[in-house]
Amino acid sequence: MRPGPRATLPLMHALEVTDLHKRYGRVRALRGVSFALEPGEVFGYLGPNGAGKTTTLRILLGLVRADRGRARLLGEPAGRPAGRERVGFVPGELRLPGGMTGRALLDHVARFRPGRPPVLRERLLDALDLRESDLARRVKWLSHGTRQKVGLVAALQHDPDLVLLDEPTNGLDPLVQRAFRDVVRELAARGRAVLFSSHVLSEVEAVCGRVAVLQAGELLAVEDIGALRARLTRRLEVRFRGPAPADLGSLPGVTRAEAAGSEATLWLQGDVNPLLRRLAAAEVEHLVFPELQLEDVFLDLYRAGGGPAR
Amino acid sequence: MRNLLRLLLARHGLFVAVCGALLGGFEWLICAVVASVDVTGALGTLVQSMPSLLQTMVAEQFLGDFSKSSLLAFGWAHPIAQALGAAVAIVLAAQAVAGRVEDGTIELTLAQPLARRRYLAAHVLFALLALVFVTLAGLTGTVAGGHAYGLEPFRARELARLGLDYFALLCALYGLTLAFSAFGREGGRVATAGFLVALVSYLVHVIGSMWEPWKPLVPWTLHAWYVPRDILAQGKAIARPLGTLLGVGLAGLAVAWARFARRDLP
Repeated sequence: MRPGPRATLPLMHALEVTDLHKRYGRVRALRGVSFALEPGEVFGYLGPNGAGKTTTLRILLGLVRADRGRARLLGEPAGRPAGRERVGFVPGELRLPGGMTGRALLDHVARFRPGRPPVLRERLLDALDLRESDLARRVKWLSHGTRQKVGLVAALQHDPDLVLLDEPTNGLDPLVQRAFRDVVRELAARGRAVLFSSHVLSEVEAVCGRVAVLQAGELLAVEDIGALRARLTRRLEVRFRGPAPADLGSLPGVTRAEAAGSEATLWLQGDVNPLLRRLAAAEVEHLVFPELQLEDVFLDLYRAGGGPAR
Repeated sequence: MRNLLRLLLARHGLFVAVCGALLGGFEWLICAVVASVDVTGALGTLVQSMPSLLQTMVAEQFLGDFSKSSLLAFGWAHPIAQALGAAVAIVLAAQAVAGRVEDGTIELTLAQPLARRRYLAAHVLFALLALVFVTLAGLTGTVAGGHAYGLEPFRARELARLGLDYFALLCALYGLTLAFSAFGREGGRVATAGFLVALVSYLVHVIGSMWEPWKPLVPWTLHAWYVPRDILAQGKAIARPLGTLLGVGLAGLAVAWARFARRDLP
């Protein structure tokens, strides 16, 4: 991706959220959420559906009013149109004007920022494999995945300094998901800040440096993805060429072990390499690390004893 | 704002053009009927054979006068003429906020560097232009039809007053529906509410004009202030009707803005 004309940002938080509270009737959607993003950072915003991720993003864009707390985007208070000039946003439920063609939609969105031409459009079309024939069709006739791609290009084509992504890979096939993650990494490498909201842990792990974990409107943790990974208990399923060894529970890093015949399930924390070295001494036939689920993260964070963290 | 106006033109242009053409065609047709049929004589005979209540109703519509001016004014007071203009006013207002909340596109639009006041201003400006277009299309039908069928032409001042009064009625309906729209989440429901307001106003006005117990309600209807017969047949001034209808429209707009500026979206 070729560098945009604005390679650096002044020294400030790209995004700053302080003590946000929001209530919808009796439901407390956000309870004192605080975090900040630096330029060049891809920040994961992780939580199950209904955790308050979309509400946070909507407050940042001025679509929803916070009951308490404040948020600033690129130095501007959230909600001011000037702040959104340099922001790109992909909503979780992307709804586009169906009567327009894809090309007309991209032009329509670009015209809202006359001072920021869509310098990344062609690069993004190429990366996301969007063809001219797709763009010539009305949006309502496009498949869900293609519509999502058009939405991504519309959000990023003006090379925004801050990118807000709400479940951006919904409906994308795995190849395009990978290409999109590459785009996000390239944006970050050029100093753009990215808030990546998702309920898929593996996706956040793949692309984010830090992560905030949100549940029921409360932040459980804000930390480096490596640190989060290190403190999480991972599950490992092993099938041996003979009966499972008896001393699995005492292997390095293993906190719990269950064995039945030749198969065993191990739960381990921290570095996996000492365990793999010890397992190599046995006759292993098959070994799987099932993908870590969001529920595992929450359970671990609660088990860690800290409870909800600010 | 030009960007939004372009979008609105693409989205609603055909609908507005069709409604305008239908209104123009309807007014042309009224001219054709007035010119080619002895409506005056036919109506006079018909009225004499009617029960007294219906005689009163027809007299209210034509003020006991079956002149061609009065008959052309009837063309502007006719439910079809009112429904066509009301459709434009109500649909545009319902779609401005509630319709866009319902289809979800307001989220993408307001995530752009666009202030809410500019968003609403673009919708109001487009609607005003659309209502002017529909009004002018109707007037063009009356003028062109009158010319084509050799009817005595109206003075420009009367036509201007008629157009202003019709436009003001549509503005009132637009303002009220926009206020509903600012509170709503579904365009269809808001449009239904707008049509109900228009229908109730029309019915109360018609019934109140015929039936004494409902007479006190008449000044509270929008249609009491829409007076094509007074303008075309009697040449009356319309400052008060115009002020009332535009006042209702502005009040609706103020409520709509007060709500839209503060509400959570979508």
